[in-house]
Amino acid sequence: MTGERTFQKFKRLIPKKAFLLWLDSLKKDYKLIGPVKTGNHAVFKEVDSSEELFMEYGTTMLSPGKLFLYKPNEELFRFTFNEKNPSPIPLPQGEGARGRVTEIFSSEKISVDEIHSMPEKQVIVGVHPCDMNAILYLDRTFLGAVKDPHYEARRKNTVIISLNCAYVSENCFCSSVGTGPFLHAASGYDMLLTAFENEYLVEIKSRRVEELFGLRGRGAGNAELRLKAEKEKSIKWKFKKTVDISGLDNIFAENTGHPVWQRTAEEKCLSCGNCVMVCPTCFCYDIRDEMSMDLKTVTRYRCFDACQDIRFAEVHGGNFRQRRAARLRQFVTHKLDQTNQYGVSGTVGCGRCITWCPTGIDLMEITEEIQRYEPA
Amino acid sequence: MNQLKPLIARIEDVKIEAEGVKTYTLSTGFPFLAEPGQFNMIGYPGVGEAPISLSAIMQDGSFKHTIKSVGRVTDFLKDFKKGDELFFRGPYGRGWPVKKAEKKDILMIAGGVGLAPLRPVIQIILDRGELFGDVSLICGARNEKNMLFMDEFKEWSAKISVYLAVDEAVRPEKWQHHIGLVTDLLDRVRIKPERTIAFICGPEIMMRFICRGLMMHGMSQSSLYVSLERRMKCGIAQCGHCQHSGLFVCKDGPVFSYKEVRGLPDGVL
Repeated sequence: MTGERTFQKFKRLIPKKAFLLWLDSLKKDYKLIGPVKTGNHAVFKEVDSSEELFMEYGTTMLSPGKLFLYKPNEELFRFTFNEKNPSPIPLPQGEGARGRVTEIFSSEKISVDEIHSMPEKQVIVGVHPCDMNAILYLDRTFLGAVKDPHYEARRKNTVIISLNCAYVSENCFCSSVGTGPFLHAASGYDMLLTAFENEYLVEIKSRRVEELFGLRGRGAGNAELRLKAEKEKSIKWKFKKTVDISGLDNIFAENTGHPVWQRTAEEKCLSCGNCVMVCPTCFCYDIRDEMSMDLKTVTRYRCFDACQDIRFAEVHGGNFRQRRAARLRQFVTHKLDQTNQYGVSGTVGCGRCITWCPTGIDLMEITEEIQRYEPA
Repeated sequence: MNQLKPLIARIEDVKIEAEGVKTYTLSTGFPFLAEPGQFNMIGYPGVGEAPISLSAIMQDGSFKHTIKSVGRVTDFLKDFKKGDELFFRGPYGRGWPVKKAEKKDILMIAGGVGLAPLRPVIQIILDRGELFGDVSLICGARNEKNMLFMDEFKEWSAKISVYLAVDEAVRPEKWQHHIGLVTDLLDRVRIKPERTIAFICGPEIMMRFICRGLMMHGMSQSSLYVSLERRMKCGIAQCGHCQHSGLFVCKDGPVFSYKEVRGLPDGVL
């Protein structure tokens, strides 16, 4: 969505310090967001200066895509129950205040206002390939046949600078699913960094960042590209978690009654939904209405929802996933098995669902158990 | 524009169909176009929205929903009267393959309020019956008080062979039709498997046995069509509630061929 017209896909070597100064120069027009060290963790947040950035991070609890593009909470509409002389309701402060409320149409009794996102321009730097692929996955949901205007507006106003990953965390398995540790996606983001000792190898991936990027640096030649390839090769050995995804398609669908589901559901799963909340590709939402205390307005908003919630698939007279084992299986199969949905795997191998499961449910262990079970 | 934006529809008429079931005739001020089998998200601010199939698509641009009060939204709607306004958005989804049914025999099988999504098909058959071969309708309900559109059956009978069944009759002495399961009636219809297409809508367990019964009559899985009910929040393949093995029931369905959905995990088809 960023490289509409042709641009020069140049590759340059830029000293790290100079690169960070360039980031600071963007703050004139953009919010700068990146990984920041907090205690033992890194979190993506807005920074005042590039000095705060912690580019050597391994993983974060929440992915940048679900913090800054697809929001946990989004106001969609405001309904006003009119009295004889309808009075306009005050606009909210905070992010909504940057938005604009347009009246679409009204009846005599109720008027409907659509809340538009008018997000600030932002740069997210240091997005690892797993999280970049997760954003490309969210694009399939929210920029598909029906576009979500809020996501679309943020996506357009966000410059994404991805960073090839050099720090494998305990539960990472991106190398097994082809989403990392180095990024190979052709488009959908603006810039790709590979950290060398004192320099970044900078690859331009969109026209808008080509225009923004004024640093000359040194052109990268074959030697540097070879060094990049070697770095990718050497880090691939560091993964402790692996999964064989060849032939994984349909294996879960064919093993819906496998004992691993019931056992894991009974012995471990709490249906807490942590796995869904930290998952960078989980896109499900609920739509809720909130009535004001004076009963005059209703705010309709959407918020993240989780297939682990017992009522998620409930209809009148039945619940398609009443059993915890069924809900657990739904999550795992959506990540690893349902490639027919978008033509890509639902997992990006970030390992967050494993890390943040309070009872240590491990998708890789479940997968291996089912794979072993498969008659040869 | 946000596709989740609801529009206002005015209730032109309310008709009581059966116990707890009403048909609302709605108009919007603009011509509403939809395919038989598609659905709208119907709701009201502060209450929420629910997916409801269209039970009629009128030539004058109005449309009907036949709604049984069973949940938060549908319960709220049950007291709505002529002249009231409600909110809707749609139509959504893939409907019945009426085009594919042309020149073929059509067998429709409905259970309970499952008859409502088939009514637009019946409407087409009544208007343009010459396009189709023999048309039959098997219709089941818990008892005669739960049977929808009873007053219309006579008109339908002109072009459609209608077979009725109730699980148990409230007044057996007055009930002249079958008492028992809808599946019992499959033997009464003369089915020519190679030239018949079946449209089935009802509780999932009923559809399971109907589909299997029809396959025993020699029909192929790909000529059986079922309409699925799932929880939905968006109707536009985003909210994820209706997902089943990679399918979005709201976008890829709600009407599927039995071949596509047979053995779906967590369903009973």
